[in-house]
Amino acid sequence: MGLLSDPSLSTHNKLVDNLAKHVRKLCLALYAAGVVWFLCLALPEFNHVTYLSENALSPGLVYPEIRIESNRLAMQLLEELQREREEHRDTTPHAWIAAKFHEFGLETHTHNYTLRYPFGGGKEFHGKNIYGILRAPRIGSTEGIVFSAPYRVPSSVHVDITPSVPLLLAFADFARHKNYWAKDLIFLVTEQEQLGMQAWLEAYHDGDKESDTSDAYLRAGNLPARAGSLQAALNIEVQDLEVDYIDVKIEGLNGKLPNLDMFNLVQRIMAREGVTSGYKQTPRKKRRSNLSNYEQNLRQMLAMLSSQTSGVPNGNHGLFHRYRIDALTITASKRQTNANVKSNPMSGAVPLLKAIEGIARSLNNLLERFHQSFFFYVIVNNDRYISIGDYMPALIALVACTFIKAYLTWSTLDVSVATSAQDAKGSGKPTVALDSMKLSLPYGSVLIYLTLALLIGYCGNVLPLQEYFAKLPLSAAPLTASILVGLTLIGFVLPFVVILPPGGLELLHIGLLLIYGCAMIVIGLLNFSLGFFVAVISMPLMIALNTKTVDRSMRNLTCAWTFLLNPLFVIYIIVLVMTFYQFPELTALQLLARAAAAAMDGATFALIDSVIYGNWLYFVVCTVFLPLWIISWTLALGKRRRVAISKTKLKTN
Amino acid sequence: MDLKCFKLLLLGGAVRLYFSRTSLATLIGNRVEFATPLNSYKRMQEGVFLLQQGIDPYRGDLVHETPLVLKALSSILLNYAAFLPLLYVLCDLCTAALLYSMSRSFVAQKLKQQNIESKDYDKDSVELQYSERDHYDISKMVLVAYLFNPLTIMSCIGLTSTVLSNFLLASFLCALIRRHLLICLVLLAFETVRSLYPVVLIAPLLLIFARRSAVLGTAIFLVFVSFCLAIAGANFWVMNSWNFLDGTLGFIFYFRDLQPNIGLFWYFFTEMFEHFRTMFLITFQLNATVLYLVPLSIKLRKEPMLLATVLVALMAVFRAYPSLGDVGFYLSLMPLWRRCWKFMAHGFVVFTFFLVTLSMMGSLWHLWIYAGSANANFYFGATLAFCTGQIFLITDLLFAHVKREFCLYNGQKIMIDGEEARILLE
Repeated sequence: MGLLSDPSLSTHNKLVDNLAKHVRKLCLALYAAGVVWFLCLALPEFNHVTYLSENALSPGLVYPEIRIESNRLAMQLLEELQREREEHRDTTPHAWIAAKFHEFGLETHTHNYTLRYPFGGGKEFHGKNIYGILRAPRIGSTEGIVFSAPYRVPSSVHVDITPSVPLLLAFADFARHKNYWAKDLIFLVTEQEQLGMQAWLEAYHDGDKESDTSDAYLRAGNLPARAGSLQAALNIEVQDLEVDYIDVKIEGLNGKLPNLDMFNLVQRIMAREGVTSGYKQTPRKKRRSNLSNYEQNLRQMLAMLSSQTSGVPNGNHGLFHRYRIDALTITASKRQTNANVKSNPMSGAVPLLKAIEGIARSLNNLLERFHQSFFFYVIVNNDRYISIGDYMPALIALVACTFIKAYLTWSTLDVSVATSAQDAKGSGKPTVALDSMKLSLPYGSVLIYLTLALLIGYCGNVLPLQEYFAKLPLSAAPLTASILVGLTLIGFVLPFVVILPPGGLELLHIGLLLIYGCAMIVIGLLNFSLGFFVAVISMPLMIALNTKTVDRSMRNLTCAWTFLLNPLFVIYIIVLVMTFYQFPELTALQLLARAAAAAMDGATFALIDSVIYGNWLYFVVCTVFLPLWIISWTLALGKRRRVAISKTKLKTN
Repeated sequence: MDLKCFKLLLLGGAVRLYFSRTSLATLIGNRVEFATPLNSYKRMQEGVFLLQQGIDPYRGDLVHETPLVLKALSSILLNYAAFLPLLYVLCDLCTAALLYSMSRSFVAQKLKQQNIESKDYDKDSVELQYSERDHYDISKMVLVAYLFNPLTIMSCIGLTSTVLSNFLLASFLCALIRRHLLICLVLLAFETVRSLYPVVLIAPLLLIFARRSAVLGTAIFLVFVSFCLAIAGANFWVMNSWNFLDGTLGFIFYFRDLQPNIGLFWYFFTEMFEHFRTMFLITFQLNATVLYLVPLSIKLRKEPMLLATVLVALMAVFRAYPSLGDVGFYLSLMPLWRRCWKFMAHGFVVFTFFLVTLSMMGSLWHLWIYAGSANANFYFGATLAFCTGQIFLITDLLFAHVKREFCLYNGQKIMIDGEEARILLE
C-alpha cells in the first residue's frame, strides 16, 4: 500500500495507535541506539585512517633547506627579546619587533585597534599589532598565507611563550632569501591574546571604513597594506626552543574546524622531521597508560567534543575560521629536564623550523583553497578520524525521538483532549466531533505563550548591554548573572500566572517537541558537539514529559528533573565540577561560593565573546535553551484551568 | 467584510510595516529562498537605474521584470522611495482582501451547488458538506492564512515582486469565481507575460467559461492569446525594443541564472553535461507546465477551483525560480478545501517537513556560503526535502478530494457483513 495513495477512508491507523501506546519505549530505544552508535564510533571498525586528499599539497616533496644558522639566529633574537622584556613588563616591545622585521627586509606595518569595553562605563583599551609582508616574487599579491605568533607580556597569567616571536622572525629571515614563494607571506605578531588577532582579521577583511564612529565594541581600525585573499594560517606558540612535543590545536570559533587536510599535512611533516606531534598531545610520561585502545579513542573523542562545545577557540587560529581561512595552532612544549635525553642546545628548534618550512612550502603549492577533505570530523586518534556521515546518525537518532513522539502525540490528540475536556466538564456528554477537535485547539494562545517564552530568552541577550543597566553601580559579572537569574525566575513563575485554555498544554507539548527537534538539528549542524551533548542530557526529559500523567509522584519527579535541567543550573553544575577538579583542597562551602563566582564570570565572558568575537554560545543559551526550558517547566507543572473549576465546584458542593 | 476582518487586515499590515523597518527586511531581501533573480528588489533597483541612465536594462543579464512594471515602479522609486514598503504592504493587504472575498464567493457557490446535489448525498456525510458557518469560517481562515503566514510576511517585507504576482493571481482567482471573463483574461495574460507559468491557469478558466462548447473554448483561448500579444505589444511600446521578451520569458524558459533557490532546477543544471541541457530544459519545463495539466484537467473537470489551487501549488514547486512567497500563497488557499481535511492524513508530517527543512536551509546556507565548510549538496538536500514535503501536501489534497467525493455519496462507513469494509485501489 502506497504511503501517498492509501485509499482507506479512515486516517486513523492501527499501527499508529499501537505505537502511541509504546511511544516511551520506542523513544528510549532510539535514544539508546543513538548513544550506542556514538560509543561505537570509537571502535576501529567505525572510523577511518586519515589520508591527504589534496594532491597539490604534496608534503615533503622538497628537502628542507633551513639550517642550523636559523636556529642560532632564533636563539640570539630570543636573548635580545628577553632583555627587552625586562624593560617592558606590561607592554609589547613593538619597536624592537618592527625594527627586526625591517632589518630582515620585510614590508613592515603596525595596526592599531581600540576596544570599547561594554561594561564599566565605556572604558577604552588600545592595542597594537605588528606585521610584515614578504611579497611573493612570482605573483601579484592576490593570495597570502599568515604565520602568526602571539606575544605575551611578562605580567600575563598564561604560560610564557616568548620564543614564538624569535622563531617566527628566524623563519621570516630564512623565507626572505628564497624566491619560490607563490603567495605573499604575512608574519604577524599579535598582542592581548585573541583580541589582537580578532582586531587584525576584522581590519583585514572589513577595514577601510571612513571613520570608525560605529557603536561596535571592537574598533578594528584600518590596515595600511594587505596581501590578497588569505588561503591558510599557521599560528605558532612555542614555550621553549628546546621542543619536547607538539600539540596541534584545531578547534575554532563556534566549534568550527580547519580542513582535515591541513591537520594531516602538519602531522605528516612533523613525523617526517621526527617531532612528536599529535592532537591533544600530552607529555611522554603521561602517554604511557594502561588504557585499552578503545578507551583511549573514546577519551580523545570526548575531549575533542567537549573543547568544541563552548565554541571558544583554543588558540588564535580559531578566529581565522570565521573568515573561511583554514588555520591551526602548533603549540611546542618545553622539554622537561631529563638526564636520558641529551640534545645539543644549539640545534634544539631545528626540527620545528624544518617542519614550519615544510608546511609553508606545502601551503605555497596550494592551487585553490582547501576544499578536498572534510570540514566536519572528529579525531579519534592522531591518524584516525570519523567523518560527518558516520557521527551524524547518532544525533539524528536522538532527534528522531522528538519528531516521532510529536507525531504520535498529535495522532492520538483527539482522544486525549476529549477525555480531559470531559473530565473538566464532569459529564459523559460526547463533545464536539473528533475531526473539528484539532481545529478548535487554542492555537493563538499557545503561539502567544511561545512568543512570550522566546521574548524572555531574547531579553537575556540584549538587556545586559543596555545603557541604563551599564550605569548601575554593579560590575559586569553580578549584573549579567542577576539579569539571567531574574529572567529565569520570570520563566519560573510564568506557568503559575498564565494558564493555558483546555487543550493548550497538549498543543504546547507538540510545539515544544517540534521546536526542540528543529533547534537540535540546527545547532547540531552548526556545532555538532554542543547539539549532541545537549541532546544527550535533555532528551530523556523530553521523552518523559507527558501532559497526561496522573500519578502525583511521577509528576513531582518530572518537575524536579526539569528544574534541575535549567540552563543556568546546568552551567553552574559544570563549573562546580570543573572547580572541584581544579581546586580539590577547598571545603564544600568554599567550593560552592567559588563555583558561583566562576559561573558568573563565565556568563559575562560568554556575553563579551558573543559581542566581540561572534561566539554563539551565549545567544543559544539565552534565546533557545532558556525558552525551551520555560516551556518544559510549564509542561512539567501541567497547570490546567480545570483544576480551578473543579475546586470551585467542590466548594459550592 | 465585517469589523473583525478589518481588524485582522490592520494587524497584518502593522506586522508587515513593523518588520519592514527592522534589519530583518534587508536580510530577507538578500535570502535566496525569498528573492530569486526574477523577483528580487535589488535587481528591480538596478533596472530602474539603468532605465534612468537611458540604457536598455534587458541587454544585460540582471533585470527580468517586464517593462510596464519596471516603468511604473521606477516613477515611484525615484519620487517616493520612502513609501515603497508601504506600497508593497498595501498590495499584500489587497491580496488578502481579494482572497477573502474570493473565498466567500467560493463557499456561496459551493452551498448553492450542494443544495442542488444534496438529495444524492449520503446521510452520514453532513460533516463533509459545506455549512452556512463555513461562509464565515473558511473565508476568515483564508484571510488569516494569508495575512499571518510567515512566508508571505517575509516575502512582503523583503520587497520581492512575488507580492505583485500574488496580487495578480488573487485577483485572477477572484474574477474567475465571480465569472468576469474579460478581467480574468487580462489579468492572466498580464501575469503570463510576466512569469510564463500562470499560462496553465487557462485550463480552469476554460473549464468554467466554456465547458459545453469547444467553439467557445477556442474563441476564449484566441482572445487570451491576443491579449498576451497586446500586453507584449504594450511592453514593446514602453521600451521600443523586443529585448525584454528574451529578458523575461526567455530568461525563465532557458533558465540562465543558476543561483540556488528552493526549486529543483538549479542543482541539476549546474551538474549536467552541457550538451544534454536542451533536452533536460524541455523536460523540466514540460514538467512545470503541461505534464500534470492534462490529466488533472480531465480528473478535476467538475472542480475547476481545485484544479486552479493544485496548479498554483504545482507551479510553486516546479517553476524555474520559485520563492517561498509563492509557497505562502498557495498555502493560504488550503482552507478552501476545509471539508477535505478530514481525509488529509499527512498534514502534520508536511508541517514538520516544512519546519525542519526551512530551519535547515538557513543553517546549511550559512555553512556553505559563509563558513565554507558544507557544500551545495547539503543545501540541495534540504530544498529537495522541502519540495518532497510540498508534493506530499498536493497529493494528499487530491486524494482527500477523491475520498470526500466518494464519501459524499456513499457515506463514511461502508459496512459489509457487519464489518467495516476496506477500500482497495485498483
